[in-house]
Amino acid sequence: MQILARQINVLDYALSSLWRRRMKNLSVLLVFTAVIFLVASFQMTTGALTRTAERVLENAPQITLQRMSAGRQVDIPPEYAARLSSIYGISRIVPRVWGYYFDEVTGANLTVMGLATDRMPMGDQLHLALASGSFPGPGSRGSVVLGRAVNDMVQARGSHLLSLFRNDLSMASFEISGVFADATDILTRDLVVMNIDDARDLFRIRGDRATDLCVYVTNPNEINTIARKIADLLPDTRVVTRPQILKTYRVVFGWRSGFGSICLLTALTAFIILAWDKASGLSQEEKREIAILKVLGWQTADILAVRFWESLLVSGISFLVGVTLAFIHVAFFDAALFRPIMVGWSVIFPPFHLVPEMTAQVVLLIFCLSVLPYLAATVIPAWHTASVPADSALSGA
Amino acid sequence: MLLDVWSLALIVCSTVVAFLMVFAGRSALRVLRFWNPASDDNRQIRLENEIWLTSTLVEYGLGVQIISLVVFVLAADHFAGSIPGAMCATGALLADPRGMPTLLIKLAGVFLYGFWLLLHQLDIRSEHYPLVRVKYIYLLLLLPFLALDIGLQMSYLAGLRPDIITSCCAVVFDSSSGGGPLLLRAPQVPVLQLFYATVLLLAGLAVFLLRRRRITAAIAYSLGWCWFFGLAMVAIITVFSSYIYNMPFHKCPFCILKPQYHFIGFLLYGTLIPATFFGITPVLVEPFRHRPGLAGPIAIYRTAALKISLFLLLVFTALASFPYLRYMLTGGES
Repeated sequence: MQILARQINVLDYALSSLWRRRMKNLSVLLVFTAVIFLVASFQMTTGALTRTAERVLENAPQITLQRMSAGRQVDIPPEYAARLSSIYGISRIVPRVWGYYFDEVTGANLTVMGLATDRMPMGDQLHLALASGSFPGPGSRGSVVLGRAVNDMVQARGSHLLSLFRNDLSMASFEISGVFADATDILTRDLVVMNIDDARDLFRIRGDRATDLCVYVTNPNEINTIARKIADLLPDTRVVTRPQILKTYRVVFGWRSGFGSICLLTALTAFIILAWDKASGLSQEEKREIAILKVLGWQTADILAVRFWESLLVSGISFLVGVTLAFIHVAFFDAALFRPIMVGWSVIFPPFHLVPEMTAQVVLLIFCLSVLPYLAATVIPAWHTASVPADSALSGA
Repeated sequence: MLLDVWSLALIVCSTVVAFLMVFAGRSALRVLRFWNPASDDNRQIRLENEIWLTSTLVEYGLGVQIISLVVFVLAADHFAGSIPGAMCATGALLADPRGMPTLLIKLAGVFLYGFWLLLHQLDIRSEHYPLVRVKYIYLLLLLPFLALDIGLQMSYLAGLRPDIITSCCAVVFDSSSGGGPLLLRAPQVPVLQLFYATVLLLAGLAVFLLRRRRITAAIAYSLGWCWFFGLAMVAIITVFSSYIYNMPFHKCPFCILKPQYHFIGFLLYGTLIPATFFGITPVLVEPFRHRPGLAGPIAIYRTAALKISLFLLLVFTALASFPYLRYMLTGGES
């Protein structure tokens, strides 16, 4: 109890001491808050983007199969799907045709996807992702479902048909049967979904070939085993699994955030030098104050304790304010400062909201990157202050 | 993985510890060279002031070292997200041969820095400063240890690549099939019997030592704690952890640190590690009791350490047994 009472008294003194030198402390507080804000924003943006990628990938096929020739992706013939039927544990194999279409008028790249909706798992529930209209049925040709940005482009031309050019510049026109809801923007904004045969016709893909095969597995724990079996059976294919894509995203975001943090470390270093400098510069008045305390019976350890509490208060307040501001920046302004570094860029870019995650791990991480170096940088100047001999300061006054 | 933000946090922690300890080492050299308790000149007064600086620096260093241990385990857990095969910290630590040694060195660091602070606290309680030389030589010996810690950690982080394939904890600690590097085949019942027998023995010894002082009993108590630390780890891995996870085949000392298990691991290790420290150290400071002015402080410390270690032992046993007993009492097993 005695120790606690002593620390509370020391804390009380530290607070009054901070208030007496408020202008000096305020400048440190402001700069430190700014540094913590930058570090925390960066962390939260990375976390939120990783989470968004995970959410998006939840609905991706568990295994995607692409045929490679001379190091490039080529069309995959239907026999490949037939050869996989010997592998136990595959629930279904769905062919998919997709590609990019460059729209010369707007300069935008559209993603065209041909689906065999009748063969997809939950293919009959695809209409739930639409804001209006319906999905073209399995046999119906000549109609498409558009992402919102593509639909806006078509509407701006005053047309009710989407006209695309084949390789030989002959035109293919499609009726718009539905538009995707804005909740799916991150995936569908630049998307044109059509019947798989229409897509084959548009891209001039022969027969019943596809660009890739989506393999769905009954037991998710077996994804890697089945992927290995597929790779053994079809050596000229590239087998991409969903966990692999997720790990790649994590590595990329981790790398980018590490790189960004290194840039921010320079700001941190500059701040640490400022903090060291501010803590070292001892005015005549401060020297006298310490001398009086020592004459009153304070020990070096007591003055060190006061300085420790001061540092802890300054860093604690900066930490709380900086992290709160960073949360607001990411949650309400979608990390406007850092988004260009972390995400890509294109003519049609999906607007998406970031949801920052405040876990104990993130808080600890930000704490280690900001508060610890500050505490370390102020300890030696604090000791210099505390070891001012009582007599010299008083006699100099 | 040097460019990952968790690696950066670890590097920042290491830099901070190195900075603090190098400053402490510099003042240790000065103290060892010029310390003269008989003199009262300016230099001696300055050196007496510097003792405060070193102790503050080592206190900060210990704090950062404890944080860095936690960050290291959490970082390994984070790396598991990008290493094929890894599901938690176990996989990430085994993905590189320097992972586990780094963890053990960091753990040892907490004990070693803690012991320095203990020596310091005893030293300043005597007006003769009788342990100055001992503690500063010890401080200088800590510096190569710290360099080893930082070197191992850096080479672990640099060697960790996302294309290494490793094993998850379910494979490593599996007792039913062959082959993990940390395979523990210890059967559950003997481990539990040994665990509770040791708890009773340690508690009995502590109560005995609080009433009567016997050096042999004190040595037995310290050795008992060394044995119990290892045994407790084995018991956590082979028995207690699977009751926390509610899964008979999930045995892992790291997954209990995760939020889905209410961070119970931090409580377990947060009681076991200090309990072991206070259990072992009374005997280690015993040889210094004949130095001037130290008999009193050492006797006070001995009693306090016994009480603290006994209390933490009981808390740890209760925490570790709770999920096991809950499972037994709610009818999980007849």
